[in-house]
Amino acid sequence: MKTTKTLHHQYILKQLPTATALVGMDTVLISASDSWHAIFDTESKLAKPIHTYYSGHENITQNQLKKNLFESQEKTLRHKKLADGKEQWFNSSCSPWFDEDENQLGFIIQTKEITNLVAQEEELKRTTSHLKATAEIAKIGSWEYDLVTEELHWCEETKKIHQVEPDYKPTISEGINFYKQGYSRNRISMLFHKILENGSSYHEKLIIITNKGEERWVAAAGKAIRKNGEIIKIFGTFQDIHEQVMADKKIRESEQLLTTLIDNLPINVFVKDKDSRKILVNKAECEYLGTTPDTLLGKTDFDLYDKAVAQISRDEDLEVMRTLEPMLARETINVRKDGSSTNFLTSKIPILDLNGKSNGLIGMSMDITHIKQKEEQLHNLINVTAIQNKKLINFAHIVSHNLRSHTANFSMLLDFLIRETEEKEKQRIMKMLFHASDNLLDTLENLNEVVDISTNVNLDKKSLNLGENITKMQQNLSAFLEENQVEFENFIPDDLMVLSVPAYLESILLNLVTNAVKYRHPDRTPKVELRAIKQEKHLLFSVTDNGLGIDLERYGKKIFGMYKTFHNNKDARGLGLYIIKNQIEAMDGSISVNSEVDKGTTFNVYFNEKIE
Amino acid sequence: MKKLNSIYIIDDDPITVFGINKMLKTITTCRDITDFENGRLALEGLKQRIHQNLPCPEVIFLDINMPIMDGWEFLDELVSLDIKERIIINVITSSIDPIDYKRWNEFRLKCWHYLNFKNKPLYKIEATDLTRVHLAS
Repeated sequence: MKTTKTLHHQYILKQLPTATALVGMDTVLISASDSWHAIFDTESKLAKPIHTYYSGHENITQNQLKKNLFESQEKTLRHKKLADGKEQWFNSSCSPWFDEDENQLGFIIQTKEITNLVAQEEELKRTTSHLKATAEIAKIGSWEYDLVTEELHWCEETKKIHQVEPDYKPTISEGINFYKQGYSRNRISMLFHKILENGSSYHEKLIIITNKGEERWVAAAGKAIRKNGEIIKIFGTFQDIHEQVMADKKIRESEQLLTTLIDNLPINVFVKDKDSRKILVNKAECEYLGTTPDTLLGKTDFDLYDKAVAQISRDEDLEVMRTLEPMLARETINVRKDGSSTNFLTSKIPILDLNGKSNGLIGMSMDITHIKQKEEQLHNLINVTAIQNKKLINFAHIVSHNLRSHTANFSMLLDFLIRETEEKEKQRIMKMLFHASDNLLDTLENLNEVVDISTNVNLDKKSLNLGENITKMQQNLSAFLEENQVEFENFIPDDLMVLSVPAYLESILLNLVTNAVKYRHPDRTPKVELRAIKQEKHLLFSVTDNGLGIDLERYGKKIFGMYKTFHNNKDARGLGLYIIKNQIEAMDGSISVNSEVDKGTTFNVYFNEKIE
Repeated sequence: MKKLNSIYIIDDDPITVFGINKMLKTITTCRDITDFENGRLALEGLKQRIHQNLPCPEVIFLDINMPIMDGWEFLDELVSLDIKERIIINVITSSIDPIDYKRWNEFRLKCWHYLNFKNKPLYKIEATDLTRVHLAS
């Protein structure tokens, strides 16, 4: 009965779909299902110690088997075998086998193939470690909040970013309190509230204060996970972006600094591309051109300046980009479309690309118009001073020479007088002394006249009718003109006005006309032509005669000099032209002469029409 | 008394001409003393002399500041004339400008004739103003 019963059991066991084996207390196999035998490839179904069956599987020793399967708490063992070159994983678990009276008869071992499970486990392990590495490298942490359990879970990286211990367990309010008080905390509170309420995702850059008190920029993102339409979890990422934000900030600051610097430089700065189009302009450049950066960008010099000026600038640009040699501090003149011109000190520096070629340039122009004007003023002043100096030296020379010649005569004559015994000769010498004295007085008078002109600073120029003054001059000279039978040709319009000191105009007319008659040609009736033309800044008055003419090549330099006479004429004092030249120059005018010997002479007087 | 054939006085100032004439009387018996008002007239007189094959004046008193042709211009012209004799030229001026002295020196170096420089006022004409001692002979 007992046997039958056993057999009966065995029979059932044999057919069990789950691989099952019965083992006695001595761990010798009593019986096993076919499926069990199939796993262990046992051909004979003889009772053998259980470990002999496992010997075909890898890494299983008798001790290990005993320890894991029978003595450990789990009472399970993982083992594998190679079948057709493939790994098959199994899990054997052991449970005690009792009879009706709770007496242990042995063990029941169940073996399951778990190849798929192991593979899944492997995959999971790999994914997890991959994720962990990624999180570590990218500094992207994650977190998860379970709405049901109200538990918040931070991954390792998230904890690291917060600088908390790996075993730290945060709550929602703690998590929120890590955010910096103020904007960051308010913002995250609102976002978290919203995601709980309606599941709206967020991604925000905010500041946290770490456990160690450091301020750090993070990118926090959250996404709701729903199950059957209900939000059950919030999953989110947490990324340390402090370095990027700081770097961005630094770049922005540098940019800001550079922009501020370029913009506020008191010189015009521009960057041009290879076609000389402006791709950057600063405030000074915009102000100079009276417009905004937007309207300037993309424009060339041809759009902004006079064509000739633009062409010069374009040629400079091309030269700089071709030679790669910067053009430094060149004086340039820009003429804007409205015709106003500005002097600049311009530098152009080529911009090199990675291949060492230039596809543009940086330009800097400093407005030096006022310096230029000062320079010109200075130049003019130097010229005026030089001329005055020359005049002064010349005058000093004249004074010393003329006065000296008279005093020398006095000296000589007095020497004669002392030694002379003859009364008649003494008389003669005395007469000469008087003559010398008269000459000295004349000379002093002449010099006085010249000094008067040169020192008369407050000239009272008036607008005078030229025709009327000529008539007046003709009346004053009537006897002299009649005696010489002078023929006048007056081409001067009746209403022509000239700006002059009245006495000077009189002197100029008198001297020029007298000269024209004095140096008449012996074979011709003297003819005097008077002309006047209004010019841009001057009134040109000319006196032309048909007289002897002057060899200008020979006397040109001396003609307006003091005590210079060039003709054998008894009346010549050599003073008239010198005086009127001084008078004309004192009124900011000028005088010039054209002449041909034996043909005649023309004096041109330029009256300055400018009123100071 | 020094015997001279001919003397020129070239000066536009009659007082100086009078003075030189007066001083010459005390030192020379020359009967041919001619005065000219300017360089141009003197040059014409000289050229005429050469044309008529007359000997050149042995001594010339030359003023610098004169109208029409001044002393320097006269010297320029004189240098270009082909004159065999060496004339003693006394440049007389009231100028104390160093430039005038420099110009005189330039002429002295390039001129075939003997050049003296005398500042006004003149009180006396020395024998050396009229002759040149030939040290070599």
